[in-house]
Formats: sequence, structure tokens, C-alpha cells
Amino acid sequence: MSAAWRPLRQLVALVILLLLWQAAGWAGWLNPLYMPTPSQIWGALVELFAEGRIWPHLEATFTAALVGLALGIIVGVLLGVLAALIPLIAELLEPVMLLLNAVPRVILAPLFVIWLGIGVASKVALAFILVSVVIFFTVFTGIRQVDRKFVERITTLGGNRWALLRHVYLPSVAAWVLGNLKVAVGFAFTGAVVGEFVAASRGLGYLLSFAQSTYNAALMMALILMIMAVVLVIFAAANRLEKRLLRWN
Amino acid sequence: MGPSGSGKSSLLRAAIGLQKPIEGTIELQLDPTEVGILFQDDALLPWRSARDNVALGLGFRGMGRAEALEVADGWLGRLGLSGFGDRYPRHLSGGQRKRVALAQVLALKPRLLLMDEPFASLDAIVRMTVVTDLVGLVQQERISVLLVTHDLEEAIALSDSVYLLSQGPRARITQHYSVPIPRPRDPVRARTHPAFAPLLAKLWSDLSNEVTRIAPAEAA
Repeated sequence: MSAAWRPLRQLVALVILLLLWQAAGWAGWLNPLYMPTPSQIWGALVELFAEGRIWPHLEATFTAALVGLALGIIVGVLLGVLAALIPLIAELLEPVMLLLNAVPRVILAPLFVIWLGIGVASKVALAFILVSVVIFFTVFTGIRQVDRKFVERITTLGGNRWALLRHVYLPSVAAWVLGNLKVAVGFAFTGAVVGEFVAASRGLGYLLSFAQSTYNAALMMALILMIMAVVLVIFAAANRLEKRLLRWN
Repeated sequence: MGPSGSGKSSLLRAAIGLQKPIEGTIELQLDPTEVGILFQDDALLPWRSARDNVALGLGFRGMGRAEALEVADGWLGRLGLSGFGDRYPRHLSGGQRKRVALAQVLALKPRLLLMDEPFASLDAIVRMTVVTDLVGLVQQERISVLLVTHDLEEAIALSDSVYLLSQGPRARITQHYSVPIPRPRDPVRARTHPAFAPLLAKLWSDLSNEVTRIAPAEAA
């Protein structure tokens, strides 16, 4: 078992599984209403792209997820830094954040729809709330755990508070946020898709709920595949960014 | 030197202002910027290259970046690390990191260098080479050094005067020894000087007396 052939072995296993699945469908063992064959799923996927009607949905989901991600990181970092530096803010913010962290935050989705309508805003809000709480805790606990030895080193070399911020705190915060970037990306897409699932007129989540209401299992699986692919692509991008920025690690 | 808990580290930390003395005062005949300190942990910033780490303190003193990097390269060279400037601390060995930390402090041209067990984390061979290079540079630059160490041999080989602290709490200086080995001195060859062995024996017995004197009280 050479490790070099591992991807090939995994690929062969996948192909065999798909062939068996396809064969079971041809043999009439699967009810296409519940369990479409790989070729039917592929057909649904091709159709989505061929008619070009997928693009507005992809755009809607991406917009909601990425805007929510960006806002969530910005606000999460800001609140985390403020709470770490100002005890009063930590006192007021920590219980709220702990509560938000403890509950499944997607339960807020219907509320956001009532407040912000079925447009993109409610999806952004859900992605934002999912991301910002994670980032808040990353930054808040991170800053309080900054190694004293770095602080003492900078101080004894003659650095002032600004030097501490620039050379110790900011790089530490950046490293923690980047380390949690993939978690945050996952949360952002969860927020966007769940938000669309609850109430929307566009987006991958909306298509999913449409496929469910029309009992279209092939479309549903095609969509699930696509969302997986999208998130994998973004993970790869996040990985590259992490490697590049944390090359000292 | 002194037993654990005699306040050796506290003394150094107080001398550079990291810790306020509960009682009494610290008198420094130098400007605080003329004092450098080196801990057991090198504390290099992991996200800065060796060169950038060395240039840090120079930047804090207002030196331009290009000039600071040039000076940093010079110091890395003097510590035998030419060509390692672009490496991150993670990609340096323990001895190399210690040399970078030394360059970081020496680049600021201190007149007094405080060192708190700076070599404790290094293995014996690396330690020997780093210490030898450090002593060479300190003698060239005429820097005074206040060294805290557990290592009796190192204390004698490196120092002109050794002070022994009593067991804490309320530790104080109980003994003072002058080391009659001449300078400039090679810290490895110093160990073969005729005065070395008798002084080592004396220090060892005084230190163990200091530790055992307290032990029964602890048991009680």
C-alpha cells in the first residue's frame, strides 16, 4: 500500500460506488422519487448551468455569505479588542455573547425575516451573527492570553503602547482570526443558506426549499453537491491565504 | 547566585523596572536605555524574521528602517548568523535563537546587561559556544554584566565577582567572592585556571549550607 497511490485508490473506490449506484437505478431497485441516479443528478446540475438560471442564485448566496463574513469579522474583532481592553465593556458584552454562543444562532432566522424582509439583508444578518460571535471569542480570549514574555520583551527594548499594539497585539489577533477563518467561512455560508431556506426569492437555500416542495430529489442533490463544491473552493482560498500570511508559523 | 526562591529574578526584574520593589529603592547610575536584559526565554516575535527582530529596538529609538536593518545584519554577522536574517524564529535552532536574542539586545549598545539564566534551555555544547561568543563580545564592547545563574561553574568562569543570596523569604546577600582569573578570559579555559577548583568547592559548600540550613525549618 504505497501512499503515493492513495488518491488513485480513493478515486477508484468512488467510481465503483457511483457505478453500483447507477446500476441499481437501471435495475429498477431505486425509486427515482427519493433516490435519483448519479446520471440524473448530473443532468439536473447541467440543466441548472445550461439555462443560466443558477447565476442569480449563486450570486445571492455569495453576496449574503461574503458580506456577512466581512461584517462579522470586522465587528467581531472590534468588539473583541474593546472588551479585552475595557473591563466595563467585557462585563456588559460577555454574558450576551456567551448566551449567543450557547444557543444555535440559526433560531434567529425567522426573526431577521420579520425585521429585515425576505431580501438579502436578513441573510446577511444571519451570516453576520453566526460569524461575529465566533470571531469575538477568538479575539477576546486571544488578547487576554497574549504571552507576557512578548509584552516584556517589547517594553524592555524600549517600545511604547503603540509598539505593543503594532508588534504584539495586532499580529496575534491576525493570526487567531486567520486560524479561525475556515470556521467563519463555514458559518457564513450556513447563515446565508439557512436564511434563504426560511424565506427568500433567490439563492441556493431558496432553490433547495423549492426542490423540497416540488419533491425534486435530483435537483436537491445537485444543489447539495454544488454548495459543497462552493465551500471547498472557498476553503482552499482561505487555506492559501492562511499559509501566505502565517508563513512564519 | 542563590537557592531557588531567594529572589534572584525579582532582583533583576526590579533593576529594569518590570517589577516595583515593595520596600527600598533601586539606584541606577545609567540611563534606563543603557540597560539591556536577556531572559531564559528568548521571546523573539515569531511573526518577525531574525533581522526584523534584531531591528525592533533600534526602530523604537527612532532609527530609520533601512539603517536599522543594516545594523541588525551587522550584529547577526558578529554572532555568526550571516545569511540567517530572513529566517523566522521557528526555523532557527535553540542556539541560533539565543544568538538572535543576544544581537537584539547588543544592537542597542547597552552599558549594563542583565541576564536571567539565559542559557538554561541550551544543551551543553551549544551553550559552550554561545557563552564563549557572548563573553568575547562583552569584553570587546566593554559591557558590564549582571548574571543570574544556577550553574556554579558558569558563575565562576564568567564573573569577576560572585554574590550569594540566602534562602528566601527575606533573602539577602550572605557572601561575596572575587574571582582571581584574569581578563580577557576564555570561559572554557578559565575552568583549568588553578584558582577555579578551590573557589568552586568553597561556593558549593556555602550554597549547600545555605540550602540545608533552612531545610529542617521547612520540615517543622
